[in-house]
Amino acid sequence: MKFRTSEYFIKEVAISLKRNNWMSLASIGTVTISLFILGLFIIIVANLNRMASSLESQVQISVYLQDNITKQQRTTIEEDLKKLSGVEAVKYVSKDEAIKRFKSRLGDQEYLLTALDNTNPLPDAFEVTVSNPNIVKTASKTIEKFKGVDSAVYAQDVVEHLFELTKLVRYIGLAIIIFLAGATIFIISNTIRLTVFARRKEIAIMKYVGATDWFIRWPFLLEGIVLGFIGGALSAIFLRFAYTTLTAKIYDMMAFFPLIPIHPFLTYISIIIICSGIFIGALGSTISIKRFLEV
Amino acid sequence: MNSPHEINVIKMKDVSKVYDNGAVALDNINISIKRGEFVFIVGTSGAGKSSFIKLLLREITPTAGTVTINGYNIKNMDNHDIPYLRRSLGVIFQDYRLLPNKTVYENVAFAMRVIESPRRLILRSVNSVLDVVGLREKYKCFPNQLSGGEQQRVAIARAIVNNPAIVIADEPTGNLDPETSWEIMDIFQRINAAGTTIVMATHDKTIVDTMQKRVIAIENGHIVRDESIGGYGYEI
Repeated sequence: MKFRTSEYFIKEVAISLKRNNWMSLASIGTVTISLFILGLFIIIVANLNRMASSLESQVQISVYLQDNITKQQRTTIEEDLKKLSGVEAVKYVSKDEAIKRFKSRLGDQEYLLTALDNTNPLPDAFEVTVSNPNIVKTASKTIEKFKGVDSAVYAQDVVEHLFELTKLVRYIGLAIIIFLAGATIFIISNTIRLTVFARRKEIAIMKYVGATDWFIRWPFLLEGIVLGFIGGALSAIFLRFAYTTLTAKIYDMMAFFPLIPIHPFLTYISIIIICSGIFIGALGSTISIKRFLEV
Repeated sequence: MNSPHEINVIKMKDVSKVYDNGAVALDNINISIKRGEFVFIVGTSGAGKSSFIKLLLREITPTAGTVTINGYNIKNMDNHDIPYLRRSLGVIFQDYRLLPNKTVYENVAFAMRVIESPRRLILRSVNSVLDVVGLREKYKCFPNQLSGGEQQRVAIARAIVNNPAIVIADEPTGNLDPETSWEIMDIFQRINAAGTTIVMATHDKTIVDTMQKRVIAIENGHIVRDESIGGYGYEI
């Protein structure tokens, strides 16, 4: 594209954004909101995935013992556990130790335990570390059959639930995103249609004197792209603000919560959001101008 | 493409146009128009004149037959070539079709800008065609400050600024009084004398009778008369 021509296009876009200022603002607003929600869903899904995989990599099985077993039985269980293939370490955690750990994990909220009236609901347990996450599932099944073992819990259960949740969030998010994208494209194409309609005579003359379709299309396409870009950039800014605030809050409460670090995650999100904005804007204007090019 | 050896700038062979609603606008038309000719297309309203003009502009394509304009076969041509066909045509309408928010100069320059002509060439060509139509002094005026005849002269300037091989005029004097119409015809004569082919659809009996040019009469989609030096031939 020649320099003179791009100068002409940019001028045209500026004029029409100014002329349709309210519609332009409305378009930018809807793009911003839609993309903000899109971004939010991406962030949530990505974090759920990360949580799931971080849990998945934990290769520990908690083996809870029945309350009434003898010391002898406990030793037998410990020996049997050590004999299992793939087991690297077996550590005994008594119910006293367990409640002590629980107390320290609660920290400031230790008072919650007073509701228990000094009884200890936690069972005695073994912490079994296996060498390979793939055998966690079969190993815990075997362990559960041991006499005196109440249950063998491993992170996989949680992981499976998390994956289900992620899937659900993903589907809901997808549906909402498709709906919002449709609405946004509709609004942008209406805004551009105003411009196109206001200039339909000019377009017809351009066609008669031999302007190429692309020459005619560019200013409108550019207008859509500008609207989409501004909306995308705004929602990227809002997302950044929301995520940094939220992560700070969560880390305050749970320092080791497996959130995706802000850098470079938010940069990727911003790129995705801004590109989607540009795409939506371009699509919206393409739709609205198509009809007017048929001369 | 337009080769210098091709003398027929417009050629229609067995051309018919039937619209989607079944209306037959043109039926088995055969004509050739040579480079440099001045041709009137006459006929009553609904006779097929506008379809004829629309074919020349490639606003429509023929249902049957071939239409060749400046070497382009308008039925088979690639859509990307349409703008280039139109650059070889200058078109003038009854209602002028000027852009009201642009000055005389800008209206004419617009035709060059949208085909991305160099700015220096635009300045030179626009001034020169404004001289041809006698509106150099009014280059800063907006269309609503001009008379109908002057507006049509601006439209002519816009049509010829890209040096088209053919000028197609659809009732160019339809909205003008007789005196002004003659000013317009005088400009057409001069453009034609410079070698540009002119195809003009008109209802104006006096003009056709006085000019003594080729006349093609269309009636019910047929060419009923094609005389190299003819008159209007209808009673009004």
